[in-house]
Amino acid sequence: MSNDAVIEIRNLSKIYRDFWGRKKVQAVKSLSMDVKRGEVFGLLGPNGSGKTTTMKMLLGLLFPTSGEMTILGKSASDVSKNERIGYLPEESYLYRFLNADETLDFYGRLFKMTAAERNRRADELIEMVGLGKARRRQLKEYSKGMARRIGLAQALINDPDLVLLDEPTSGLDPIGTREMKDLILRLKAQGKTVVMCSHQLADVQDVCDRIAVLFQGELKVLGRVEDLLEVRNEMQMRTSNLSEAAMSDIRDVLKKHNITEAAFSRPRADLEELFLRTVRESGERPGRRFTTEEIAGKSGGQA
Amino acid sequence: MDFDVAPVTLRDLAESLKLWLILIGILGASGLLISMLLSVARNGVAGIGIFFKGLLSFLEDAGSISPRRVLALTNLTLKEAVRRKALLVFAVFAVLLMFAGWFLTDSNERAELQVGIHIAFILQTISWLMLPVVFFLSCWSLPEDIRVRSLHTVVTKPARRIEIVLGRIFGMGIVILIVLVAMGGIGYLWIVRQLPLEAKSQLTCRVPVFGHLQFVNPEGQPSLKGINVGDVWDFRTHIQGNTRARGVFVFQGIDDSALVMETKSAGDGSGTLQVQGLRMECRFESFRTIKGSESSIREGLQAQYTLSNNPREEAFGLFSQSETLRPLADALRDAQFRTAANRLDELATKVSADGEAAKNKQPAELQPTDYMGLQLGAVYAAGVMRYRKDADLESAMLAFQKVAEEGAALITKISSEAEDKNETLPGLHEAFAQSLRKLAAVLNQEADTLYEHLPKLEVPLPSFHVAEYHEGAAQNVKFVPRTVRFSADAETQSRFLASLFEKLNEADQLVEGDGLKFDLATQLQSEGKISAENSALVVDVLAEQLASGQLKVAGSKLSVADGRRWFHFFDSLIQKDLLISADDEGWMMERDLIKDLTQEGHLRVEVSCLNEQMYLGMARPDLFIRKPDRSFMVGYGKALVNTALMMMLIIVLGVTVSCIVKGPVALFFTFTFYIVGQFFHEFMQEILYSPTQQGMGAIASAVMTAQHRNPQIGMDVSETTQRVVQGIDAVPRAILWGFSQIVPDFSIFNSAAGFVENGFDVPFAETVVPAFLICLGFLIPCVLIAGALLKFRELESK
Repeated sequence: MSNDAVIEIRNLSKIYRDFWGRKKVQAVKSLSMDVKRGEVFGLLGPNGSGKTTTMKMLLGLLFPTSGEMTILGKSASDVSKNERIGYLPEESYLYRFLNADETLDFYGRLFKMTAAERNRRADELIEMVGLGKARRRQLKEYSKGMARRIGLAQALINDPDLVLLDEPTSGLDPIGTREMKDLILRLKAQGKTVVMCSHQLADVQDVCDRIAVLFQGELKVLGRVEDLLEVRNEMQMRTSNLSEAAMSDIRDVLKKHNITEAAFSRPRADLEELFLRTVRESGERPGRRFTTEEIAGKSGGQA
Repeated sequence: MDFDVAPVTLRDLAESLKLWLILIGILGASGLLISMLLSVARNGVAGIGIFFKGLLSFLEDAGSISPRRVLALTNLTLKEAVRRKALLVFAVFAVLLMFAGWFLTDSNERAELQVGIHIAFILQTISWLMLPVVFFLSCWSLPEDIRVRSLHTVVTKPARRIEIVLGRIFGMGIVILIVLVAMGGIGYLWIVRQLPLEAKSQLTCRVPVFGHLQFVNPEGQPSLKGINVGDVWDFRTHIQGNTRARGVFVFQGIDDSALVMETKSAGDGSGTLQVQGLRMECRFESFRTIKGSESSIREGLQAQYTLSNNPREEAFGLFSQSETLRPLADALRDAQFRTAANRLDELATKVSADGEAAKNKQPAELQPTDYMGLQLGAVYAAGVMRYRKDADLESAMLAFQKVAEEGAALITKISSEAEDKNETLPGLHEAFAQSLRKLAAVLNQEADTLYEHLPKLEVPLPSFHVAEYHEGAAQNVKFVPRTVRFSADAETQSRFLASLFEKLNEADQLVEGDGLKFDLATQLQSEGKISAENSALVVDVLAEQLASGQLKVAGSKLSVADGRRWFHFFDSLIQKDLLISADDEGWMMERDLIKDLTQEGHLRVEVSCLNEQMYLGMARPDLFIRKPDRSFMVGYGKALVNTALMMMLIIVLGVTVSCIVKGPVALFFTFTFYIVGQFFHEFMQEILYSPTQQGMGAIASAVMTAQHRNPQIGMDVSETTQRVVQGIDAVPRAILWGFSQIVPDFSIFNSAAGFVENGFDVPFAETVVPAFLICLGFLIPCVLIAGALLKFRELESK
């Protein structure tokens, strides 16, 4: 494993079978990718594309049919890897009869944490997720947003090196969403690696360094967000107070290819656009993976 | 219910451990083999590697169990049970207790039955209320966690799945313990407060020591059973009243710890005093051949206990099994060793004659049963003598042993089918005859020594009335003071006087000048506790003997003129009726119950019926020594411990099954286990091991039915076919055996309650320890199996 790869996946496949061992569906097909240390990595794909299956295989909730995975240098089936992992499930699958304090204390006890450490960490996290006033209430009384917050707190109880977030902004209001994204960026700033699955493409675009797009279990797109959203066959210029005369001059200037004061850049597609196009193309040309250049070129063409 | 449980020995435990290891080995090997085959079926050859990788990973998990995480998971389970209101079962319990008194308390009922009903109600209620809670908690908890995915968050932490299993089991165990302690405490208070005053004295835990029972028939011969008076239920057999018939109970392990203190009124009316003694409790059955008067029916039959320390009966009793040997047996038991020697010589002659008869192929005079009786009797006699570790008995012991050895060789040959039988038999007969003659010679030579070293002491106790209609169990409890005072028989009398005179002679207190000491009668009264009349009688008789030269004075000592021991001297006086008691009470003596009447902790109690034409029925558990009672709370606590262990076992089974199937299926499986283990375990054992139940299997039965044949005749098929049929029939039998070993015997857990309900202490080693070991025996493999099932289960499997 290279030093800066936190997750390495090689030829990972997952076939769901029925009771008699007959194949029902292949959820993941020969997936290979790496997640690098300190980056925020987004797993995208439509429903049933295999992104949650991949994440659950990483966590040991599902077993791969074939292929290999290493997380933090250890096999996915090795429970000790969980010492350095934090996981926020899609919905907060927590014990609803516990209150926030008890929840964090319980999960803290599963790590090598002293009582003092657990208490300090619980106070910090409850403060961070804004549940100070509700810390003594049982989780069954929590709203969905509150449940997401305590779910996030439990994922961070052990101050993990790798954080796996399944739909982190699901159920959060705009402010909560903003705070979640800020938190992800803060985690990144602390040097932690974040892997997230999300349907909220704008959120992914805002926080992810790299993304992978899965479709029907196959990896379709993998690359840096910046590179993927760049439209390479177009240029754009931005300026202010542009009069008619100036416009005329610009045209002249452009005619002479002599541009001095205008800011030039390539326009960007948004992630939603990229996502939809990938899905459409994958449907038309199954089994094909797209390069960053292809994605970038086509973005321009379509824009 | 039988309260006379066989003691659990270390050998039993070792056997159980061995069987457990074998079963675990078979289960483990089968499980691993099936897992590997499944892995290969799914992954091809690579499956072998995957299997071993998984196995290593599991072993690593099992080896890195963290008490901290298990404790956290235990705590979680505890909170879950409390917050999901599993403890509501208390409310039901409270409601039941509030109204139970209306139906249970009947002051007209016998006290011990009232106690039994109240205890049974509480213990049964606790058990039946707990069962549904335990079934649902254990079978539903994990599947529900998996269904709502709260377990997923836990397994993404460093918690090993085996730790989750342990946490569940311990957590639920603690819940059950809390509930049981609370319910048990409330139940105890309820019993104590609810019972009528007259029944409260019965609220105790009797600690019984049961003995072995054999009989003496009306002719005075040992017998394994008494008389059957026509009962279909042959649990008890009867002894005939006013005959030599006895029920002989031999108790083991009787020492000072068996004694109890009882308050008695002082004879001089000065108040009460504490007396140490042995308490015996009986529950004999009366059988009347005549109706008797109303008062006699009310009083019950009259019975008598006789405490006996009789090594001669033990050593020579077996000879009387054969009619021919009975004169020999009687002579030996009566210490008539010279007569016995003559009998042996006669028998030796017959044995030699039988040898000659065998050579000439003529019928033998002695029957095989006579030979077997001689051989077995000799084995037993040698054994008892060896057991007494008395050097003076050694030559007799060796002679009996030689008879036993030669007898064994002869009997083996007699029963053999060897062709050279008739040639070798005369030699063996002669060797056996020689051994008998040698024994006769030893008995002749050692007769006095044997008589002296095999003393018989019989202490008849005052007779009592057996409460026939259970008008109070206390009537059947008899207290025997440690120092028993009794009217001695001739042998005891002579032994007593001999030992007393030896002691006084040793201290130079018999002789004064040429005659007996003038205050000898007073000495005898104070030293020997002999009555004044009898003391005076002894002194008079001894003075006569001294005058007639039978006794002589040498220095300060008195001795028998012909050199005999004092013991033989007094014996001859008694034989001549010179020492017939001058006191109406007879020769009253005192003996220590433990020192004088037990031999290596064995106490022999003979029960006789004194009413003519009446019969007293008894079985082994009908008479027991009642050691100091324990507090009711002790037995009650043990019964609750057993209930807790049963619940724990159900939890273990429920959690294990729920690791692989959903809640309802787990519940079905666990409940089935419980029902089979509770109600059908004995039935399975019967099918497997009882000779009356051993049929020939389904296929064999079908073949025999088709052929119109029965099991005695068997199938009319070739040997090969027969083997095939038997082989096929062995398969379901093997499955049933396996099933009977895997399904725990739940009845062991309930047995403790039966003891308490009937006023007995729960024998710890025989009831609580096996229950604990069964629980542990299931806990260890179940945790491993459950841990493996959960580890290799895809929690998110679709």
